[in-house]
Amino acid sequence: MIDQNFWRTEIWHPLSVHFPVAILLLATIVKVVAILLREQQQGFWQRAGAYLLYIGFLAAWVSVYTGSLAEGIVARKLCDPTILKDHEIAAFNLAYIFTGATALELALRFELIKFKTGLLQLIVVLLMLAGSGFLVYVGHTGATVVYQQAGGVNIPAADCAGF
Amino acid sequence: MKNYKAIFAFLLLLLPFMYACQQGTDVVESGTYQGTVDEVEPAKTEIYVKTADNKRLELYFNENTTLTRNGETVQFDQLQKGQKVEVEVNKVGQRLEPVAVRILE
Repeated sequence: MIDQNFWRTEIWHPLSVHFPVAILLLATIVKVVAILLREQQQGFWQRAGAYLLYIGFLAAWVSVYTGSLAEGIVARKLCDPTILKDHEIAAFNLAYIFTGATALELALRFELIKFKTGLLQLIVVLLMLAGSGFLVYVGHTGATVVYQQAGGVNIPAADCAGF
Repeated sequence: MKNYKAIFAFLLLLLPFMYACQQGTDVVESGTYQGTVDEVEPAKTEIYVKTADNKRLELYFNENTTLTRNGETVQFDQLQKGQKVEVEVNKVGQRLEPVAVRILE
């Protein structure tokens, strides 16, 4: 049974952050596969990549929000909060980049833009690749905050009192 | 119409780069610094202070931080962007703990 003390504000971030990490990386891989296929084979992969991108970009902003809630609590206890600041900046960058990719993808899907669609599809993929680069960096700095500085981690008493 | 759409597409592409002005923070040695309040985050009782030598300090108030104006204790909501302040900070690791914040104007 999970203790009531488990549901601290800073816990919502690790609970929500792994969804966009998985979904957006998968979306990027699917989109890359799509542009490598012949045009008549692309349909499923383009749609799958697009749906993953829509879900992932929403999940990214949810994670940015929960991260902002956690930051106010965690940063006060870290030995090097500059790592957390780098994490925050990169997280915003990736969220904006995937938002740009989503907006462009939607514009293409609903035919708001009808010229140079092949080039614009390529730009969507390039944005997603750039966003994925930030995603890897955000994951690295997030892990550094948790595993090197115990950010947001409950540290039990030496005698394990309470367990 | 085609130009309009091209501009729309161009603006969409610019969107990701609009965040490029996001600033990082700096770490300084323990001491007293004068500067300007660059940003106030009331929900986090946090301020950013830009010092005279262009360093940006991120300061999270704690239970021991004193905030004064003309020698009198004031509430956090008295802090505003653009105010001149003097901050006394204690560097712990790479974290800056604000010991005292004095509003100068």
